Amino acid sequence: MAGVTGGGRFTSRLLARTWLSGDTFEIELERPAGFRFVPGQGIRVSRGALEREYTLVSGPDDERLSLCVQRLPRGVLSSALAELHIGTGLSLSGPHGYFLFQPTQAPPLFIATGTGIAPFVSMVRAGARGFSLLHGAATQADLHYRTRVQAAADLYVGCLSRERPGEPGQPWKFSGRVTHYLRDRLSPGTFDFYLCGRRAMVRDVVSIVDERFPGSRVFFEIFF
Amino acid sequence: MKAYTGGGDGGMTSLLSGERVAKTHCRVEACGEVDELSCVVGALIASLPKEDRGLRDELLETQGELFRLGAILAATRGSHASGMFPKFGPEPTRRLEELTDRLEEQLPPLQGFVFPGGHPTAAWAHLARAVARRAERRVVQCFQESAEGRPDAAFGDMIPYLNRLSSFLFAVARFCNSILGVPERTWPG
Repeated sequence: MAGVTGGGRFTSRLLARTWLSGDTFEIELERPAGFRFVPGQGIRVSRGALEREYTLVSGPDDERLSLCVQRLPRGVLSSALAELHIGTGLSLSGPHGYFLFQPTQAPPLFIATGTGIAPFVSMVRAGARGFSLLHGAATQADLHYRTRVQAAADLYVGCLSRERPGEPGQPWKFSGRVTHYLRDRLSPGTFDFYLCGRRAMVRDVVSIVDERFPGSRVFFEIFF
Repeated sequence: MKAYTGGGDGGMTSLLSGERVAKTHCRVEACGEVDELSCVVGALIASLPKEDRGLRDELLETQGELFRLGAILAATRGSHASGMFPKFGPEPTRRLEELTDRLEEQLPPLQGFVFPGGHPTAAWAHLARAVARRAERRVVQCFQESAEGRPDAAFGDMIPYLNRLSSFLFAVARFCNSILGVPERTWPG
């Protein structure tokens, strides 16, 4: 695994865009020749003077590079990516980052909020199995890639902050935040926690880990 | 990536290999010393005469080596994270030895203990030299304590590197005073 990061710069093109919900979409980019990455890593996407880093959602052997993007109200690049014509050229650099799946004897527990699901989708596409995954979102419609990751997970829980408890037949739905699930439902033990999402989630989960899950490992990546 | 999380407000932090440890853990202490060393080397670089690109480039390379060293210190032996970075071999140490030899060839022989100071650039180099010594002590301590039960082979080439780095920075301090026309003051004893 030595030398997993690279500072290469590449040119690419927008090949497709699929809306996943009201404000979130997936874009597919032409994969530059020779571009390699490890699931969990990201790329910097540039258009003019704008540059942002996104974690790849595609698998390491996929023909195209895919990103899951949330269109933010004041997000200049995310808004541009939401509207660019298919075929438009973009500059990429990377791969960047060290948020990699590092299996040990401890059971892996992935925790994502919103588009923080991206690295875990890439890991699943690369063959990751035997993990538990808590995905926090406002509503079920925001649980992007659910069927794909649910099929690979030993335990999948959609933690919904704005929905009532799941109906019979939907035991995977939990009414509350991922932190509520950790505090109230998960039995104490030692896990390898992988956290990806907003800072407040990471801060709160780390605090719970120190209190309830001593001896666990914690890896995290924070999204803006 | 955000610069802070708040996840360490309880006095714990995560190593690169994921373990939650106290902020007084020897690996965290050693990383902190190496970070401080890089900061002082940065101040030294910032104070160098603009025309001295050779020394600037060498010190910038040193900062890169210190980042690598910090990353290796932050990952426990045998962890996946410890394999993410190229091994810290003997080459950086040899580079420092050659650089130190080249600088010393241009300097008058030592007449005694040198007072740290002189030109501000030399003063930064002296400070960096002292911080390098402290970083070395912390890394040695971490190596000896070996929180994981036995010595970590990854430390092997880091200790000689930090040892040579302080010698190199001492030579840089003397060299800077020499080229900037500030006489060296020695302790009469």
